[in-house]
Amino acid sequence: MDDLFVPLLIGCLIALGSALGVVLVRRPIYSAVALLVHSLSLAGLFAILSAAMVAVGQVLIYSGAIVVLFLFVVTLLPTGGQELAPAGNRVAAGVIAAAALLVALGATLGGGIPPVAATFDLSVAAVGHALFGPLLVAFELTAPLLLVAIVGGVVVWRRHEPRPRISPRPVTTGEPRKLVLHR
Amino acid sequence: MSSEVLVLGTAVLLFAIGGAGALVHRHPVAMLMCVEIMLNAANLVIVLGARVRGLADAESAALIVLVLAAAEAVIGLALALALFRRRTTADIDTAAELHG
Repeated sequence: MDDLFVPLLIGCLIALGSALGVVLVRRPIYSAVALLVHSLSLAGLFAILSAAMVAVGQVLIYSGAIVVLFLFVVTLLPTGGQELAPAGNRVAAGVIAAAALLVALGATLGGGIPPVAATFDLSVAAVGHALFGPLLVAFELTAPLLLVAIVGGVVVWRRHEPRPRISPRPVTTGEPRKLVLHR
Repeated sequence: MSSEVLVLGTAVLLFAIGGAGALVHRHPVAMLMCVEIMLNAANLVIVLGARVRGLADAESAALIVLVLAAAEAVIGLALALALFRRRTTADIDTAAELHG
């Protein structure tokens, strides 16, 4: 599939640049926009790698749902997205972790790639057959997972809410409430 | 350099960038975004493997990873909102209530 090298190279460069943007930009709202570009470029990479179903899922779930959720949360945060400058030890830890990850992954994945399959069937029908055949249990388990995630999100949010104060019923005066008509 | 090596190297670099960013950032939402980058890198490797082997099962697994990423984002963002409702600065280092 070396005739796909140039489009893959363009997609990889956009993905890497936007990932660096997410990491290096100070304001989280710009990070979210860079994450949007990142997820769209990855959808393009998936499409070039003939994974149409995953590309559509990436656009729908990632760009459409997760990044929008991030944007909502950034605007809901008290400071709107101001972030303190990273401490020196954090930068050092990040650089060391990145180098260690590069070395470890390079050593693990550097053994070479098996020859590419000449014939393949990665159509939506084939993916659906795999999803509802050998992976049926995992597919069905995503439903309770999402339900638990929704309930957990609501519970975590509600726990920090101040309890409504139960006050005694207000003393009613003798006069009945007047009905006011709005025109 | 073949296309597969290019995509694999990109995925490795993306994973390292995401890991470094999750450590460098102090904003919880920015940290979650870096974790999402790491998940995306893993998904890219899965899709590349599906293409190299010519198997559709791996693509289905990539779809399930997408759903997992959505669930993780929901929980993480709810935690971030709950932690930083009454704070003035969004700094993960000041969140020390979870000591038991």
